[in-house]
Amino acid sequence: MDYKKTSVLSALIGAGLVLGASQAHAQAAGWVGQVKVSRGIVQLERGGQRFPAPVGLRLKENDVILTEANGSVGLMFNDNSTLSMGPNGEVVLERYAYDSTTYLGAFDAFVKRGAVSLEAGNLANAAPESVRVKTPQAEIKGQARNFAVNVEGK
Amino acid sequence: MKKPVNFPALTLSALAIVLLAGCAGQRETYVVLPDAKGQAGTLTVTPKEGQALKLQGAYASGVGKPGSAPVPAKLTEEEIKAAFAEALSARPDAPAKFTLYFREGSDELTPESRKDFENVLAEVKKRAAPDVIVVGHTDRVGLLQDNDRLALRRAEKMRQELVKLGLPADSVQAAGRGEREPLVPTADEVAEPKNRRVEMLVR
Repeated sequence: MDYKKTSVLSALIGAGLVLGASQAHAQAAGWVGQVKVSRGIVQLERGGQRFPAPVGLRLKENDVILTEANGSVGLMFNDNSTLSMGPNGEVVLERYAYDSTTYLGAFDAFVKRGAVSLEAGNLANAAPESVRVKTPQAEIKGQARNFAVNVEGK
Repeated sequence: MKKPVNFPALTLSALAIVLLAGCAGQRETYVVLPDAKGQAGTLTVTPKEGQALKLQGAYASGVGKPGSAPVPAKLTEEEIKAAFAEALSARPDAPAKFTLYFREGSDELTPESRKDFENVLAEVKKRAAPDVIVVGHTDRVGLLQDNDRLALRRAEKMRQELVKLGLPADSVQAAGRGEREPLVPTADEVAEPKNRRVEMLVR
């Protein structure tokens, strides 16, 4: 029995150390997601500059993804969450944090305009409400892993 | 002689357009979608002003107009699929999952899994811009933090093998889940070969 108690205690201490190590590991890639589908004109805006967003482009927090009238795009994040957009869309990846050991973290996407479909990945396993979408008028989150939002453009 | 321009009519229609644009604003639509198994949960739409709307079940939908709280909408599944057609069509393919097994307490694959590893490579070749996530797991024999280390070691070993085979280093990520996610739930300290594994997701 003593053996068990000691192991639980050392596990708790160890877990803290391992968490630290895995955090570093999770961020080691330096990117939070990737473009997996890109059709028509799709652009990325980062640091005030715009460039094309083809399949394979790596994404970072605060990136803005834009689609033109013929554009649509599908993104996949480190926790396997996906976000896809139809034409004339604009989405800001406001926040992405993910610990690949515990599945804890946060995902905030701001849909400024357009039709967007979201499928939550591992982040929702740990905490369903950690995957959140914001629009000009509302905040959307919940237990539903898959949902879609449309913000009509001007 | 040309017909004179009808100024009053022009002004009226211009006014109508301005009014309509102002009234329409940016309408927002919210929809719950089913997952691959057809299951769906509950979504909460919380407006900046007014009461939140709860949407429950597959294809439950709501609409929000500027200045008023969101209300339920009566969109059919077909209408939703049509309205979101391009976004739904642009969803990435689901990752292909491969499970490989290890010898007890080690980061060496079993002989069978060594062969199965080739299926992973075949899948990588099929994808346009492949990236792989390797997640290591253990059974419940041993201390929690030892299993955290073992799981990560298993994942990193397989990650290195993929990089050696030519995958760019930043296209493979390794993670350890320790005892957290057994394939076969067991009591503590029970050896279970099916839990000593890595899951490789080719995306």
